[in-house]
Amino acid sequence: MTKNIYLPEMATIQEVIRETHNIMTFRVTLNNPEAMKNFSFKPGQVGQVSSFGTGEATFVINSPPTRMDYLQFSVMRTGEVTSKLHSLKAGDQIGVRAPLGNSFPYEDMKGKDIVFVGGGIGMAPLRTLLLFMLDNRADYGKITLLYGARSPVDMAYSYELQDWLDRDDLDTYLTIDAPYEGWQHKVGLIPNVLLDIAPSPGNSVAITCGPPIMIKFTLQALEKLGFKDEQIVTTLEKRMKCGVGICGRCNIGTSYVCMDGPVFTRAQLRQLPNEL
Amino acid sequence: MKYQQELKDSIRKALPGLDVVIAWSAGYDPLHATPHFIRREEDIDRLEIGPFSVHNLATYLPGLRGKKVGIVVKGCDSRSVIELLQENLINREEVTIFGFPCTGVVDQTKIRKALGHTGKVDFCQIASQTVVIGLGGEEHKLRLSKVLADKCFSCQYPNALISDHFVGEKISPSVQTEGDDDLEAFEKMPMDERFAFWQKEMDRCIRCYACRNACPMCVCRDHCLAESRDPHWLSQEDSVRDKWMFQLIHAYHLAGRCTECGECQRACPMDIPLLLLKKKMNKEIKELFQYEAGVDPEATPPLLSFKMEEENINEREW
Amino acid sequence: MAKVQFIKSADVKPWLAELAKEHRVFAPSYDGEALLFRPFDLEQEIILDRAATMPPKKTVFPQSEKLVDFTYSKDPENLSRVKIDARETLPEGSTVVFGSRPCDARGFTMFDRVYLSDKNTDIYYQARRKNTLFITLACRTIENTCFCNWVDSDPCDPTGSDVLAIPMNDGYLLESVSEQGEKLLNSKLLADGSSRKVEADKICQEIAGSINNTKDLSQAPAKLLAVFDNMQFWEEVSAKCLSCGACTYLCPSCYCFNITDETNGMKGKRLRSWDNCMSAQFTMEASGHNPRPTKAHRLKNRVGHKFSYYPTIHGGVISCCGCGRCIKSCPAGIDIREIVLKAIDFEPAAVEE
Ligand code: SF4
Ligand code: SF4
Ligand code: SF4
Ligand code: SF4
Ligand code: SF4
Ligand code: FES
Repeated sequence: MTKNIYLPEMATIQEVIRETHNIMTFRVTLNNPEAMKNFSFKPGQVGQVSSFGTGEATFVINSPPTRMDYLQFSVMRTGEVTSKLHSLKAGDQIGVRAPLGNSFPYEDMKGKDIVFVGGGIGMAPLRTLLLFMLDNRADYGKITLLYGARSPVDMAYSYELQDWLDRDDLDTYLTIDAPYEGWQHKVGLIPNVLLDIAPSPGNSVAITCGPPIMIKFTLQALEKLGFKDEQIVTTLEKRMKCGVGICGRCNIGTSYVCMDGPVFTRAQLRQLPNEL
Repeated sequence: MKYQQELKDSIRKALPGLDVVIAWSAGYDPLHATPHFIRREEDIDRLEIGPFSVHNLATYLPGLRGKKVGIVVKGCDSRSVIELLQENLINREEVTIFGFPCTGVVDQTKIRKALGHTGKVDFCQIASQTVVIGLGGEEHKLRLSKVLADKCFSCQYPNALISDHFVGEKISPSVQTEGDDDLEAFEKMPMDERFAFWQKEMDRCIRCYACRNACPMCVCRDHCLAESRDPHWLSQEDSVRDKWMFQLIHAYHLAGRCTECGECQRACPMDIPLLLLKKKMNKEIKELFQYEAGVDPEATPPLLSFKMEEENINEREW
Repeated sequence: MAKVQFIKSADVKPWLAELAKEHRVFAPSYDGEALLFRPFDLEQEIILDRAATMPPKKTVFPQSEKLVDFTYSKDPENLSRVKIDARETLPEGSTVVFGSRPCDARGFTMFDRVYLSDKNTDIYYQARRKNTLFITLACRTIENTCFCNWVDSDPCDPTGSDVLAIPMNDGYLLESVSEQGEKLLNSKLLADGSSRKVEADKICQEIAGSINNTKDLSQAPAKLLAVFDNMQFWEEVSAKCLSCGACTYLCPSCYCFNITDETNGMKGKRLRSWDNCMSAQFTMEASGHNPRPTKAHRLKNRVGHKFSYYPTIHGGVISCCGCGRCIKSCPAGIDIREIVLKAIDFEPAAVEE
């Protein structure tokens, strides 16, 4: 029988973590043990998460495929569905249609130095790839992470940041926009801090996700540092419904972000018509 | 049209001070005109006014705020302009109005009905009271009065009620020959029949919202309840209930503001007699408030104002 | 070998009545002033000499359909928890559409490439598509808005149909196009039509000769991309557009949809309903950001999708079948042909400032 692409797998929320005032993380397992066991995906792929009666919204699976105890989604409250999801608690039932979309070109990144630049909720997709790489550490060169948020209380995944800072095989930099009492790390906008750290473009790939304005200036900073378009990877966000290239709303010219994305290199982005 | 050249000259003179002038030009076949946006001198030549100038161009005005816009209006269109001014939806200083004496426009549905179909019109000539239409090699003669829009029969304001440039001689309103027949017939129906009538008509609605977007007085278009999830008043089901609900919302929002230009009905690809609903609403408003929309730029529509005691609404005794 | 039968005009209704015993049958008849594909009814007059207001799009792609039914209930194993039961609801039964036009039937082939691709199968669409048969009528009257010949089709094109009916003076020649179509041609009301094939072919040639001159649209995909960033071009061509949904909902090849949930107490459903790229909400993101904020952006997508992006993805096939409905029913008289030709003829130097 052909799979019904619109019928979600029923899933149970195992744990809810409040990350910031408007971001919550949900750890979920599919109710069907077979489906959970056979679930496979690649870092960067997304899912349509639904609260029945309200609707679906798109989130990246931000736990890595190397840790399959649960699937993790981080939800920033912006509209009807995300508000509804924020009201859910452990034990509640949701629907999941996943995996959807393409993934980070992590195979091509093997043997290279990796530079992650994340801003705000943009840390979610980076987290998947970062943990995946840490779990396959030998495959990659030097890994640098620059993660920024408006203030310390706006930082998601605060509970793992110390672990990342402590690791010898990962260079972690944290930054906030303005000075804050007790803050031990960098202060400054992400693109400026990136220029300070000045990772070498040599044998590197930079992966950056975050709000549009941050992306814009981060891309400029990376260019200044000598990163070529092929060495820069980012993700796009569009309003999605079907998630499988049929409903027609997420296209930029010939590219459907739900199928051909969300991951694009800057070189690929330059090929797309200008409609972000 | 007699005054076409005069109108062109008048526009030519004003164009240097304007970003755009909205008029009509020939459409895809001899039976249709289309809105025409004049930006450059050479665009003026294509202007055409006449019985196919059906579109109420006032619909475009709120979307062009901030620009210097010229607009050519029929008498009925000018009432929409007045209504928009009353409600501060457009600025008088930004709009230059060109009026002309209107002798009526056709109703495409009536022509279609009279001829069976109008898919292959080769030519159309209108001489005094006769319309001659060439259709797939055959010639058809129709009396103009048979295909004129209903609103033109009862038109009280054939000359723009407001204008900066008026071309031609003002004409007197036509004598009312056929009144609101449809409204009278509708009002004779018992209540349950009325509802059955609308259920049948609304059933074929495809929820394209052309009626809403063509309405010069609909100001919320992109933020319409019809598509909103918060509040969530309408479902996306293909149900008469939801379709009718939308029309009721629209009619209520238009009560006392609607000038009966008929654009909703004209725009409806499914030919649903939407104007009937608006007429009914306006009649009630007229009876309650002695108010007619879009006649006096200084007036305030009754549902946008508040009186402690309305003369014709007897609240205290309810 | 195609099966060739002949039916007398007077036998059409009895034949449809026969077919209606086994299938849902739709044929064009008037509902008010709109000519629509409506459930066949012996009492109703069937109108075949003019194109219908709406294509028979709803027969395969309903305006709104249920994708999932769900119910909430208390979890018997843990009463503090709510259990949700979600079930798919697949359409059943078979449908015959009589009197579709070649452009109408061909429209579904545009859906097929998207809904039944090698990547994904939309099983709701599939269930209806394979159980809906089209008895398509070749067009004897070419309307002013018809341009199927610009988009690699013609008024006798059988693509997407199951039976092609060619109107003759005393009846219709019925030629099977698909195997399923062949099965429809077994009625006693039909007679062998092979002897009239030559005559029918001649009629088709005559029709082909009477249609307007074709235009070469092979440059359209590249040219439309070339004007993508020229917002002045798009603002001018879209100035009179009202940003409604008439053009897309009447289009036999527009296939976009929305998915929304509706609840009523402990029950609910997930619906798929028509949506379209001319609507401001279509691409509006929860954050309030809209990548297509104006009607100029939206009309650009509609024309671009049909004449550039779709053909680029799908082997050069333009996803407009030239039916002309968007032209005829547009309240503002927007003519998609004009826009495409304008883009093809556009010389960038002309607007340099
Ligand atoms: S209602 Fe009056 S002004 Fe309007 S088109 Fe008819 S005749 Fe002209
Ligand atoms: S224009 Fe007609 S079909 Fe479209 S929404 Fe309005 S009433 Fe319905
Ligand atoms: S082109 Fe015409 S039918 Fe389409 S959205 Fe614009 S006004 Fe409506
Ligand atoms: S775009 Fe217009 S002409 Fe082309 S198939 Fe659609 S409705 Fe017909
Ligand atoms: S033209 Fe617009 S509504 Fe039609 S199929 Fe293309 S994207 Fe969808
Ligand atoms: S979300 Fe439906 S096509 Fe991309």
